[in-house]
Amino acid sequence: MGVLKINGKEKPFADDKMPATIADLLSTLGVDSATVVAELDGKIIERDKFGKTPICSGQSIELVRFVPGG
Amino acid sequence: MDKLIIAGREFSSRLLVGTGKFSSSFVMAQAIEASGAEIVTVALRRVDITNENDDMLAAIDRKKYLLLPNTSGARTADEAVRLARLARAATGINWVKLEVTPDPYYLLPDPVETLKAAELLVKEDFVVLPYINADPILSKRLQDVGTATVMPLGSPIGSNRGLKTRAAIEIIIEQANVPVIVDAGLGLPSHAAEAMEIGADAVLVNTAIATAADPVKMAESFKLAVQAGRTAFLAGAAGETKHASASSPLTGFLRDQ
Repeated sequence: MGVLKINGKEKPFADDKMPATIADLLSTLGVDSATVVAELDGKIIERDKFGKTPICSGQSIELVRFVPGG
Repeated sequence: MDKLIIAGREFSSRLLVGTGKFSSSFVMAQAIEASGAEIVTVALRRVDITNENDDMLAAIDRKKYLLLPNTSGARTADEAVRLARLARAATGINWVKLEVTPDPYYLLPDPVETLKAAELLVKEDFVVLPYINADPILSKRLQDVGTATVMPLGSPIGSNRGLKTRAAIEIIIEQANVPVIVDAGLGLPSHAAEAMEIGADAVLVNTAIATAADPVKMAESFKLAVQAGRTAFLAGAAGETKHASASSPLTGFLRDQ
């Protein structure tokens, strides 16, 4: 089993369900990648690299997007 | 109306609007349209991965409006810089409304952390629009490090109390060589007009529009007030006197001397 820390919360994945890339993770979570910014272990990952950026158990991922604000 | 120029970019509208607190994305989009604004602010937050429908900003036409991400929620310079970098990765644009507000009760900006973050962000080629208390010395320090504007507050965010800092803002305007955008606390169109009449280059309004009974109508009234205030500033206000000064002739009265 693998674990990813997503937005501060640990989320377990069965070995055969572990997403391989950030793009995989977003599709598993049902999040539209067009509106999301990702940070992997504190480093910003450009959107066009989501499909090429491998992730593995133990890593910390922040997924953020714009929300209404003043 | 004359153009507003920020960091070399021209805008026809001198009203910036925030996107927070609207009852729906439909009302928000309509109000933005009615305001005539070309710059709209947004915030950056964690995705709610349990809610697939939390993208409220899909209603904003990003080709028509310049999205100005803020760093709200940042309590330190480091947090603000991190948010600004994420926002740039999201939009591909390097404009940021810098906010560092460690105290949640009054949401007053931290001048030391704001200046520190501004210096770092300018070095990373951001166009920085810092939200500050109405402090003329801080305004000068910020423009000296290369911020694109200064954004002094009229009164605390969302308080709708108006231009309580007028005297300090007048000094800021007198000394500024970058646009002065009065941000926060403007609760009525008359507050916005007052800021423009004293020579502010623009104003930013959110709560007063978003929480009005009819946000679309209120957006339009702020648009008109900003136009009126700017035009009045350009017209040059007549001076005040303590005594009366008759507007009608003081000769030819229908009475014998």
